Amino acid sequence: MPYGPEPETPGARHQVMFAAGIMILALAIPYMSDGFQQQIAVTLQASALAPFIAMQERLTDRRTRADEIDFLQSEMDSLVAVTSTLSALADENRGLRELLGLAERAGPRFLPATVLRPGTPGSESMFLVDVGANDGVAEGAPVVSARGLVGRILEVRERNAVGMDWTHPDFRASAMLVDGGMYGLVENVRGEFREEDRLLLNGTAYHEAIPPGSLVVTSGLAGLLPRGIPIGRIDATAEVQGSWRKSYWLRPMVDLGSVTHVLVETVAGGTDVADLWVAEPGVDPVSAAPTGAARVPGP
Amino acid sequence: MGRSWGTWVLVGGLVVAHFVLHLGLGFGRGAPDLLTIGLLLASREVGVGAAAAVGLAFGLLEDALGVLAFGANGVTMAAIGIVGAFMRDLFLGDSRLFVISYFFAGKWMRDLLHWLMIGEELRQPFAQEVLLQGIVAAAYAALVGIVLLSLTGRTGEQL
Repeated sequence: MPYGPEPETPGARHQVMFAAGIMILALAIPYMSDGFQQQIAVTLQASALAPFIAMQERLTDRRTRADEIDFLQSEMDSLVAVTSTLSALADENRGLRELLGLAERAGPRFLPATVLRPGTPGSESMFLVDVGANDGVAEGAPVVSARGLVGRILEVRERNAVGMDWTHPDFRASAMLVDGGMYGLVENVRGEFREEDRLLLNGTAYHEAIPPGSLVVTSGLAGLLPRGIPIGRIDATAEVQGSWRKSYWLRPMVDLGSVTHVLVETVAGGTDVADLWVAEPGVDPVSAAPTGAARVPGP
Repeated sequence: MGRSWGTWVLVGGLVVAHFVLHLGLGFGRGAPDLLTIGLLLASREVGVGAAAAVGLAFGLLEDALGVLAFGANGVTMAAIGIVGAFMRDLFLGDSRLFVISYFFAGKWMRDLLHWLMIGEELRQPFAQEVLLQGIVAAAYAALVGIVLLSLTGRTGEQL
């Protein structure tokens, strides 16, 4: 039997002819008019490819929104940073204005100074001021802010001085009520944490009660500090010893964490500075608000 | 009949997955050419004419997304369909090596034909488009193809 190629079936021949027709059609498509090609593309895009195109559009929208959220987040962070900076500047500005008012009232007797905190171990409750002996500052000079007593100078150098604030364990100040009704000694009481440090008005008479909120100022006794510098307000009764002595917790007038600029008394100082902390209009000097503005009576 | 039905389900899934990855999610070259893999599988199931028609349809779907060289994908995929259907008469593939070679050669030929069809203005350099990227894409397609057949339990059968 002779060996030859397999006979073609009619179905196979039709398939080949169909394939040839498809190929001719495919080859003709690139040469069709642009309008017709576009019509085919649009039809396919609007039918078979529509779900995938819609998926891409949704994905693009989500990416755009995610980018917008990131952008808005960064904008908000920037605004928060700017706002917080402005808040700190506003606080400092307010403090400086208050101090400026006090300095104008005090005249040359008090020198403005910048407070520097060493921040090293063992230097807690201590600070440096950028005025010294050359400026007329002496040891023991009171350091005040617009709200009241900050501390006093311990050591004086030519161009700067070292002081202690009211949180120092050795801080003592003879004190009295702003109306002169009662005298005592203000001292620092250490808490378990530095934030718990408090001022205590000690040695007051047992038979006289002091209402909470009463302003306590320096009394000028013993000559260490001039009379009339606000120290704090009566907060609560701390201790009653027997039937002869009471002590009171004080709420300090000066928040030391916010003190950056102060006034330091010079050697030309006198014994009474009560007129420096005058009451502002509309402010109750005995209210709980720690404004430090109070009319202090003279000796 | 059951095998044929499963193949068409697989081909349909590959077409959908191809456009989801390339068009819907925008993966571009990061996604394998599942459309060509689907065409190479489909062309083993039908006659030459039907394979050409399927190829042309697949190609036109891709052409619809391109602004330039409309029809190049149609011609290319129709030719691949015809070659794939003819290959069934020449080779009875039931080994992994044949399947890998089939997918690799089919994808690389698709890239070569498309490069020839799109015209000189749009062509990238031959070495870059066909030799380098074409071979990488062909290897990628062959790998994905054999993995797909393994996952669907179709390895070892006559392709």
